[in-house]
Amino acid sequence: MTIKPWRLPATLAVAAVLCGALPALAQTPIKIGASLSLTGTYAKLGSYQKEGYELCAEDLNKKGGLLGRKVEFAVYDDQSTPATGVRLYEKLITEDKVDAVMGPYSSPITEAVANVTEKYKKVMVSPLAATTSIFKKGRKYIFMVISPAEVYLEGLIDTAAKRGLKTVAIINEDTLFTKSAAIGTAELARKQGMQVVFQEAYPKGHTDFSALLTKIKAVNPDVIAAATYFDDAVAITRQMKELNVNPKMLGVTVGGDLPEFYDLLKQNAEYIYGATQWEGALPYPGQREFLEGYKRKFNREPVYHSASGYAGCLIYAEGVKRAGTLDADKVREQLLKLEIKTAFGEYKVDQDGFQTAHKMVILQWQDGKKVTVWPDELASGKARFPTPAWNQR
Amino acid sequence: MNPFITPVMLGQVIISGLLAGSLYAMVALGLGLIFGVMRVLNIAHGPLLMLGAYVTFWLFSTVGLNPYLSLLVSMPLLYLLGMLLQRFLVRRVVDAPELSSLLLTFGVSIALVNVAQLAFTSDLRAVEYLTGSFVLGPFAFSKSRVIACAIAIAITVSAFLFLQKTRLGKAIRAVSQSREVAQVCGINVGRIHMIAFGLASALAAAGGSLVAVMVAIQPEMGQVYTFKSFLVIVLGGAGNYPGALLGGLLLGLIEQVSSLFLTTQVNEAVAYILLVLVLLVRPTGLLGGRAS
Repeated sequence: MTIKPWRLPATLAVAAVLCGALPALAQTPIKIGASLSLTGTYAKLGSYQKEGYELCAEDLNKKGGLLGRKVEFAVYDDQSTPATGVRLYEKLITEDKVDAVMGPYSSPITEAVANVTEKYKKVMVSPLAATTSIFKKGRKYIFMVISPAEVYLEGLIDTAAKRGLKTVAIINEDTLFTKSAAIGTAELARKQGMQVVFQEAYPKGHTDFSALLTKIKAVNPDVIAAATYFDDAVAITRQMKELNVNPKMLGVTVGGDLPEFYDLLKQNAEYIYGATQWEGALPYPGQREFLEGYKRKFNREPVYHSASGYAGCLIYAEGVKRAGTLDADKVREQLLKLEIKTAFGEYKVDQDGFQTAHKMVILQWQDGKKVTVWPDELASGKARFPTPAWNQR
Repeated sequence: MNPFITPVMLGQVIISGLLAGSLYAMVALGLGLIFGVMRVLNIAHGPLLMLGAYVTFWLFSTVGLNPYLSLLVSMPLLYLLGMLLQRFLVRRVVDAPELSSLLLTFGVSIALVNVAQLAFTSDLRAVEYLTGSFVLGPFAFSKSRVIACAIAIAITVSAFLFLQKTRLGKAIRAVSQSREVAQVCGINVGRIHMIAFGLASALAAAGGSLVAVMVAIQPEMGQVYTFKSFLVIVLGGAGNYPGALLGGLLLGLIEQVSSLFLTTQVNEAVAYILLVLVLLVRPTGLLGGRAS
């Protein structure tokens, strides 16, 4: 059989089109390494973050991958310990020779592994590290995604100041994150011209707040800002009612955003302000796709750890896309300049990679539902203000 | 940072202290009873209290039983569990060196907490039954704590009367004074040990049911009560039953009042400093030990 002269160019053309359309299949995939806490104390939260990474890789690959290559995650379990994380990032970079890395879960582990990634000059977007100091040590290749602890209650203070409230009492659990949150809140309050009339820390695991609240009651502040985790937020609320402590606003950092907070306190959670990095209901670009994709893949509602992991990975991908290469210095340059809005909200960092644009949101429990009340542009309802006294509800 | 202290504040913390102290007294009486009768320091006392709290929680959340009525279930249940623990485990270490009983009850304590974690998960639970307070002038009396205090006093007083007046109570005191003599007088010491351990566990269960209404319930909530009870019986004199009452009220008061003057963090240490002082100056406790 003879080859008809027109067939050869046609075949070549078809082949060229196919190659152009499916380059991701033609080249080796981009391997992104990370250690996450899949067992140990942070197990639940670490696996949420992993889900975010996985969903991000899937979404990227659906759109043709990154730089024309497929994206794959190589994830190890650091058992929630910084030392294991350090070992795993060494292994990922030197033995597995991954093309890129993403951050682990939590501040302590990020703090430890950042030394490794800096040593090998690897860009690391860290979606779940909220401690300011990690990013203020002269490190060059690390990027922050979530808001720092210091601004958790910015919205509470801002709302209070706008309503003309003058005095605030600040209490916090005496651990790294809550301490930073309390210090930041005090600073914000002073900046807004409010007076911090009481400030005290209590040890982790504290359950009896009656003496602390008696002291607060004596100074009768307009606002009580509590830098809490979860158990303490519940206990403080209950004991405020028992001691009949009646501020015009009560805000807590962590715990107030969880559905379990209302399950435990029922109607006593009403009027309380909570803070969160992210809510599914916020009108961010790509939010619907994220929620739908997540529900399809994992069959439940996402929490912010997944959303931040997902967004962090997209932010890194965007940096690579703009740089046109995986070269760390070029990607770093792009990530420093980048301003982008993802399903997790805004991203913009200063010269240290420290997050400056992402907004915390403040929500209030109203009739058993979380209503976003701050910032104004994201609010889904009005704050019920002031909080009535316990005996007038 | 301390605001200046007003009489109202002082009054309020004294109220809080006495309310808390009556509960400590009841729970510590159980620990003291076991120590008095069989010279065993029961580290698992707090975890038994935790089980009592879970009994109340489950009865409340499944069949809606009034948490205060659930004492009628939690106390007998834990009485039985206490007897079983004594019969099969603690009995073996009664005459062994004290380290053995410490290790054993420590093990039981870890086991109970972990079983609770497996069975109930470590999620926080709450019995949202009675919140808020009776307000009298400037003072607030937490409703749940006032009721808990009243019930604790009633139970503690009945326990005293039982120990003082009944034949069985006298037998218990006899064993705690001198096991050999009691045995010679025809008292079944093994049986008394079981009953005492059961009673002590029931007291812990009562404590658990009462705090269930006040604080969040989780598997590790109990340990702190082991430590507090230990403090109370050291303050009051180990083996001295009225001493437990005094020690409990005193501990509640000291904890609350001192925290007016100190920061919450420093205050955690106050009770323990006190413990060291009492052991140094008056090792038999304020009322003297073993005088029944």
